[in-house]
Amino acid sequence: MAKKTYDLLFKLLLIGDSGVGKTCILFRFSDDAFTSTFISTIGIDFKIKTVELQGKKIKLQIWDTAGQERFHTITTSYYRGAMGIMLVYDITNEKSFENIVKWLRNIDEHANEDVEKMILGNKCDMTDKRVVNKERGEAIAREHGIRFMETSAKSNTNIEEAFCELAQAILDKTSGRESAENQERVIIDRRNNDKAPGYNKCCA
Amino acid sequence: MELVGDTISNGSSSADPPVPAKSTLNIVKQRFKKDEDILYIFESYQLKGPEYVTHLLVLVSSESGGTYAIVSFSCQRTPLSSVNELVIGKVFAIDEQFKLRQDDTSSIAAQQFDLFSGEEGPIKYYYYPSETAKFEEFYATVVNCQALMTAIHLDTVLNFRWLNDYRQIGEVKQELKKRESEYMIYQDTKIYCATWNVNNKQCLNGSHSLRTWLSRSEQPPDIYAIGIQELYVPAKSMLSSTDAAADAQWINNMINSMYPGVEYSILKSYRMMAVFLIVIVRKPLKQQILNVRCNYVTRGIFNALGNKGGVAISLQLNEGNICFVNSHLAAHSGQKAARNQDYQGIVGGMSFEDGRTINDHDHIFWLGDLNYRLKEREPQPGPLDDPQLLLIDDELREEMNNNQCFIGYSEGDIKFQPTYKFEPNTDNYDMRRLPSYCDRILWKGTRIELLEYNSIMEIRQSDHKPVYGVFHVKIKTRDHAKYKRVQEEVLKAVDKRENDNQPQIEVDKTIIDFGRVRFNEPSSSYFNVYNTCPLQVDFSFKEKDIDSICEPYLQIDPREGSLLIDSARSIWLKMHADVRSISGLLRKIRTNDNFDILILHVKNGRDIFITVTGDYQPSCFGLSMETMCRTDRALSDYSQSQIKELMNNNSPHYRVTMPREFFLLIDYLYKQGALQQGAFPSYESRNQLKADFNAVRDWLDTWSQDPFPASVETAAQALLLLLDLPEQALLEPFVENLLNSASKQEAMNYIDLLSPPNRNVFMHLCMFLRVGIESGYYDMHQVAVTFGRILLRSSECSALPNYHSKCCAFMKMFIESDEELMGNGNDSGAGSGTRSTGLHA
Repeated sequence: MAKKTYDLLFKLLLIGDSGVGKTCILFRFSDDAFTSTFISTIGIDFKIKTVELQGKKIKLQIWDTAGQERFHTITTSYYRGAMGIMLVYDITNEKSFENIVKWLRNIDEHANEDVEKMILGNKCDMTDKRVVNKERGEAIAREHGIRFMETSAKSNTNIEEAFCELAQAILDKTSGRESAENQERVIIDRRNNDKAPGYNKCCA
Repeated sequence: MELVGDTISNGSSSADPPVPAKSTLNIVKQRFKKDEDILYIFESYQLKGPEYVTHLLVLVSSESGGTYAIVSFSCQRTPLSSVNELVIGKVFAIDEQFKLRQDDTSSIAAQQFDLFSGEEGPIKYYYYPSETAKFEEFYATVVNCQALMTAIHLDTVLNFRWLNDYRQIGEVKQELKKRESEYMIYQDTKIYCATWNVNNKQCLNGSHSLRTWLSRSEQPPDIYAIGIQELYVPAKSMLSSTDAAADAQWINNMINSMYPGVEYSILKSYRMMAVFLIVIVRKPLKQQILNVRCNYVTRGIFNALGNKGGVAISLQLNEGNICFVNSHLAAHSGQKAARNQDYQGIVGGMSFEDGRTINDHDHIFWLGDLNYRLKEREPQPGPLDDPQLLLIDDELREEMNNNQCFIGYSEGDIKFQPTYKFEPNTDNYDMRRLPSYCDRILWKGTRIELLEYNSIMEIRQSDHKPVYGVFHVKIKTRDHAKYKRVQEEVLKAVDKRENDNQPQIEVDKTIIDFGRVRFNEPSSSYFNVYNTCPLQVDFSFKEKDIDSICEPYLQIDPREGSLLIDSARSIWLKMHADVRSISGLLRKIRTNDNFDILILHVKNGRDIFITVTGDYQPSCFGLSMETMCRTDRALSDYSQSQIKELMNNNSPHYRVTMPREFFLLIDYLYKQGALQQGAFPSYESRNQLKADFNAVRDWLDTWSQDPFPASVETAAQALLLLLDLPEQALLEPFVENLLNSASKQEAMNYIDLLSPPNRNVFMHLCMFLRVGIESGYYDMHQVAVTFGRILLRSSECSALPNYHSKCCAFMKMFIESDEELMGNGNDSGAGSGTRSTGLHA
């Protein structure tokens, strides 16, 4: 029995190196909980969470991927069909930040062309262990024209905000498309469509 | 309802307490609303593949709907432990089409029956033989309910809207509905109803002429519903018009006669012939009103003429549904049965665009010239100014008391004189008719309080006096802040339920290590999967590439399956790097650290990656000549990672001119002389390995000093496989050029371009075969066919015309004896330089 409890369904994907906190981010968002024991994700998990944006109930189906190197090839097969991708690095792990470029290339090769992307610098509560400063995160996001936030699943910083912003960006895109269809080839507000997606500066 | 099911009575009256049954009832109860009663719970099951799925059939009655239904829940186990385990399946309204049909063809073992109703079915259910007595009880209870329905409601539309909460809308709305009390508040609303049979008279002059009728309330009404009967209809439109074009003057006069100082606005007016209804609301209220709909039912001659009948306007004010009905029922004394029928006709026939009937509203106001009279009696009725006495003879009250019409409706105390029939423009009764209370206002629904109910004697132009009623109604309204909070909680809970109910399985390991893996030796391993959730789980291995869930050297059993709750099963993996799959395994080893990654997919759930690894013992079979020429020791002394490194080495430097393993085989065969007669198998049978093959494998891979351990045939076969198993044919990348070469000389140009190991192997092989043919050990044609196909193996070229004969012809050029070549006038000197049998570069 397909009972629709929502207006729109968005499929989101979390990717990034092993141990950057993808599962914790998802767990914080879906269950509002945090556990510091590390259990490597061996496969693809998903959780759902319904948010309300602009009066619309949006069901987010969020796929959490295995970050381990040996699964990289296999996880790319899950990119297709994702409407939004959260690319996560760990601000206390230089390598995970450097790999962002590699992950971005993966997205280019395997994801839908119009997928909405967002970079998250996670573990921003661990200030004493920080090795990647915020400016570098912002810079790489700006360079690729995508959104950016620093988050902490542990201290519940910006988790909800990040997902809502990504969902909002997808919503803007879909509703833009709908109205474009409705207008039947009348060119509408090109400015909005051409504008590079802004990156966000907020992190508490 | 006194129908109480077995499950229910047991809990309270039986001596040995069937606690689970009681809690099942309590759990199931949580899925229903307050005014819905569970009459019976019957445990049945359905077959889903080879599995049984329990279905609880819940017979439930709704107080607000006044109807019965069976709601079927599937659950994975009984007794239930939580309401979350109940998944709503089908909903069967016990309507006219409803049937519970026992299947007579059933075997003794499986008792079965079908359920169907207007919208569902037939759906088959089974029950356990031990439940037979309960089934009969259930059956009797259902039949009883169905009989009650058909007895009470003759031609009315049965109200099953309450069931929509279980089938059409989603879980969120269901939950929100259940928690309504947490966010609903009541908005005080004044509703002014008015009715008047105007006897085809024109509207009075003077814009405020109706004020005495319409501005009687103490406080300004929020909503007016004004019904008129016998509105003047121009003769020419008599048979056609049902449109809403009412006399503009009437509407204007009404608007001007509303409660003074308040701005009103027309919400909807609707007219069927002479029956007219208008709803006028305070202007600001309009934005709180949704779903304004109207319809009519014609009665009168042939039920079609429309001189009698009713019109209705339905609207939603915030969360409350309101319906106004204006009707003109059959006239004349002695016609109460016709009036009852008109009422039934309207209530049963009126439905709005959304399928709603009159009874599907929270608040119903029914006004009009209902035409019920006072009973004729001797002596004449008492004084006309004593309503209490007169009403003893009122037909409407009597019929209502006898449940013949307006079931569930209320009416206020009548303190006014009969409103019919007057001599127009006077207050004098026309005594040719028995004065009667024809014009009435009734209501049905919750939270309605009558404030005033009266007639207007001062308006005299009709033979009826107008009547009005003022009501105080509490309309359900959402408190937005509270609603938002509850909605958030509900969304969270529903999400959580979905996440918690996700099918889950656990595996005892995600890395399957086969340990030592050798060419042509199968091995197997397994892992266990456990169902760790309260649902049956289906799993399967996901295809990664087209049609393949795993690499060709692996086999999985089972590839898919189901796990019942708390069950486990083993999944077996078989690894076999044989002649067909060794090149695939070596390719994998060259690029990866594992043999494969399998995707174990849980239906509607997550995917688990199963990594397959092992320690491959390198062997010469499947390796390219180049790789073998880079070895400096026996292959058995190499590890998997060392061979990986060697396979990825692309330098042009080699340790030997041709692989020692190849040389040893040729050397052995050569030395057998006449014993090698007919040793080479046909191309087709090259892969059918002999029992002593692995001894040859070990002899080659260890550079053994022992005598050759197997037969000449096995040696010949090993030679073929050594050439056939590498990923690329020996003569690549020039297979196409070689096939198209017109002469040996032209072909030699390409042979010279081959890598040194391949070139040397090829020339040495040709020399060996030529000697064998010259000596009469082999049939040249057969050898040319077999080796041609192997050395020139190519998936692209095999589609070329005459591919097979070209392969054969090519080989022949190189293995024909020099004499024959001389005879053909070809140059034979080209290969002579490679006749060296020395191995070292």
